[in-house]
Amino acid sequence: MDYAIETFHLTKIFSDWWGRVRVYAVDDLNLQIRYNEVFGLLGPNGSGKTTTLKLLLGLLHPTKGRSLVLGGDGADPKINARIGFLPEESYLYRYLNARETLDFYGRLFGLPAKVRKMRIEALLDMVGLTAVANRPVGTYSKGMARRIGLAQALINDPDLLILDEPTTGLDPIGTRQIKDLILKLAQRGKTILLCSHLLADVEDVCDRISILYGGKVQAQGQVKDLLQQTDKRQIITDAITDSAVEKIKQIIEAEHAECVVSSPMERLETFFIKTVTAAQEQAQPTSGAVSTTRLGDFLTGEPAKESILDKLVSAPISEQAAPKSPATEQEHIAAVETSSVQPDEQLLRKLTEPVKPSPSDAAADRKVKTQEVEHKPPKEQEIKKSILDQLTGGTSAGHADKQQPDKSASGEGANA
Amino acid sequence: MHSIWAVATNTVKQALRMKMAAAFIVLLLVLLPVIGFTATGDGTIKGRLQTFVSYGLSLTSLLLCLLTVIASVYSLTSDIQQRQIYTVVTKPIRRFQLLLGKLLGVILLDVALLVLFAAIIYAITLYIPKFAGATGEDIARLNNEFFTARAGLTPAEADVTQDVLNMYKELDKGGQLDQVFPDLSRQEVIDQLTTQKKLEKRAAAVGQDLLWEFHNVRPLDPNESLFIRFKYDVSINPPDSQVYGQWLAGDYRQVKYATKIETQIYSFERKDPIRTFREIQVPADAVAQDGYLAVGFLNVPLNNTVVIFPLEDGLEVLYKADTFTANFARAVLLILLRLIFLACLGTFAASFLSFPVAILLCIVFFATASFSGFVIESFDFLGGNMSSVYSYTLKPIISILPQFDKVNPAKFLIPGRLLSWSLVGRTAGLMVCIKAVLLLLLGLLIFSYREIAKIIV
Repeated sequence: MDYAIETFHLTKIFSDWWGRVRVYAVDDLNLQIRYNEVFGLLGPNGSGKTTTLKLLLGLLHPTKGRSLVLGGDGADPKINARIGFLPEESYLYRYLNARETLDFYGRLFGLPAKVRKMRIEALLDMVGLTAVANRPVGTYSKGMARRIGLAQALINDPDLLILDEPTTGLDPIGTRQIKDLILKLAQRGKTILLCSHLLADVEDVCDRISILYGGKVQAQGQVKDLLQQTDKRQIITDAITDSAVEKIKQIIEAEHAECVVSSPMERLETFFIKTVTAAQEQAQPTSGAVSTTRLGDFLTGEPAKESILDKLVSAPISEQAAPKSPATEQEHIAAVETSSVQPDEQLLRKLTEPVKPSPSDAAADRKVKTQEVEHKPPKEQEIKKSILDQLTGGTSAGHADKQQPDKSASGEGANA
Repeated sequence: MHSIWAVATNTVKQALRMKMAAAFIVLLLVLLPVIGFTATGDGTIKGRLQTFVSYGLSLTSLLLCLLTVIASVYSLTSDIQQRQIYTVVTKPIRRFQLLLGKLLGVILLDVALLVLFAAIIYAITLYIPKFAGATGEDIARLNNEFFTARAGLTPAEADVTQDVLNMYKELDKGGQLDQVFPDLSRQEVIDQLTTQKKLEKRAAAVGQDLLWEFHNVRPLDPNESLFIRFKYDVSINPPDSQVYGQWLAGDYRQVKYATKIETQIYSFERKDPIRTFREIQVPADAVAQDGYLAVGFLNVPLNNTVVIFPLEDGLEVLYKADTFTANFARAVLLILLRLIFLACLGTFAASFLSFPVAILLCIVFFATASFSGFVIESFDFLGGNMSSVYSYTLKPIISILPQFDKVNPAKFLIPGRLLSWSLVGRTAGLMVCIKAVLLLLLGLLIFSYREIAKIIV
């Protein structure tokens, strides 16, 4: 089987000036990352994640072993043309503004002026920097620099995206957005290698992960397999009455098992985004508060991103995801996002449709923003209903099935 | 190519926006006019022009050289230091293209700035005579001596090797060698004899004449003048330190072969002080169609001394071979060649050194190249063991470097001398095509194989 990235006994030893071995930064690493997979490289600081990426891209030379990236050498311009790389920090030319920065990178790819212009505007819009695009990037905050860094990694519409700590320096909303983007790109057939020590990020988006320590792989596998506690079961219900709970407890006791009953906690991320959204909604009519402007720009930019991303990545869709019907695509999105993405959808809906403040509905509605927001309220209604069905437990068999497959499943589906 | 161009434009932007170039530009924009209107030279308008052109060009050259070194080194080392290079080399660009792009950017910047400042210097130079209220006479003189590009022809040196050998043999046979040249090696004796013989060929005893023939004399305009520039030396000082001489200039072959006189032969009788340069103005139509010109000197019996024309600079024929403008343009080109060399040097240094070290290396190279003539000469005076140590270590290194002082453009513009295309071409060939390109290739090689990322664990 062909792999997007494959390493063979990749080893990097850092020596001191006398040639004495100081440290094994990467030690006999054998990675196999499939096409169309979101792969997470995890590990504590100094575990060799970044070094591995640098070895893959030819920024460092391996001491031993070798690596194949997209079937070739990671330093070969032909291969580079299909890679997008976001280094651990966004190292930018401080004197260029955002537009010039992207234009520079676009020209390195030899993109014609028209395409470049189109993509730059699309990407700026996507990362929410259109309003500040004429400011030198040296004046950007860390998060803004991160966004422009991400945009430069996408300018060539890469087949393989290598992201080193993509969410550092970003606020939770930005983080959420990058995670969504990763999932979306994965659906469109891209391969993504993600390197992070922010476990929540990895858990949300990765199909498979590998945990590095001391330059060696300590654990590797599908996130679901690694994390699922097969000796435990979890049942989530609506707020049922105490008597119903008692009945259930009795049934469980009859099975000689123990159970804990509690109300599920909302994730902090969800809560944060909800709070910011609420604040923004209040602020906008009155003064259009400055502090939220950027956020607003960024998020209202989001719809455009969808359509443009579609354009950007249209080729892979037709090639790789063509067999799927649009419907299944939609459901994948739904499925994927059920697992964790609620808050974002909710926020997006609120922001783009401030007239409808119904949090529970919004939370349920995870059909993606753009199209509906732009001009299809009726369709939105339908979708909402179907998802509400899912949530409220009126689960038809079909729905239940579709809720199961998460991204890893979909990833494998595309591989097969 | 598109990627080289992208990097080049980015480099120009960097130099301009990081205010690196700005400091130099402002300095020059202020200093050039100041020099132009305050320079006095020796008080004459010509002196003033000479001072201005010399200072103006030298200053522009020096500042642009520094800018070139800094820009070419900084552009690459800062990319590595601040790691923008991670996102650049992982794009479809080869490392040599990145380096060439940086180099091209610096050269483009140099060309733009050099054209700008050269234009300013040129404009001020043309304006100075008007500003200083030059009379018609002044202007005529300036046109002959400054606003011109005069080529100089010196007479071919006589071949005296055989004479010298014969003389040496005779002295040796007669056993007079130790008597005449005590404690000298054979080579030293021969050197002395050679000088002596050569001087003999350039000396005229009383009543004797000397004739020099020049070929390929091509005055730009036959209606203008050419100049015989000479310096007398004498065996016995005349009482008033003056020498009488009769000079002839024209096509000597007409006399020699007694053909029909077609070109005018001019004759001058003059009295000139000894040991100073003098010029005789001769109408340029003295030159024959085929570029032949003969100059004759008769040591008139009035002088009671042998007249000698010193070997180095005793006699020269000067004629206007090109316009001042063209000469000035070539002078600027010469500066550009220097800048291109430095840009290559900077790129080379930056390919494997960090910013401070690379800058230091370049400055040392630049300074050495600027004074290499002086350095080599002064080391040649060292005697004994020191000299051999030096000639196997430092001398080869210095000789590898280009010699900026040898091709200093001001040296040509101040005396209104022709800076020929062939000199520019030779400089370009040696300094840029060979030395700079070698440095650059070495830099490309190193950069292509080095690890770019810093080691961070």
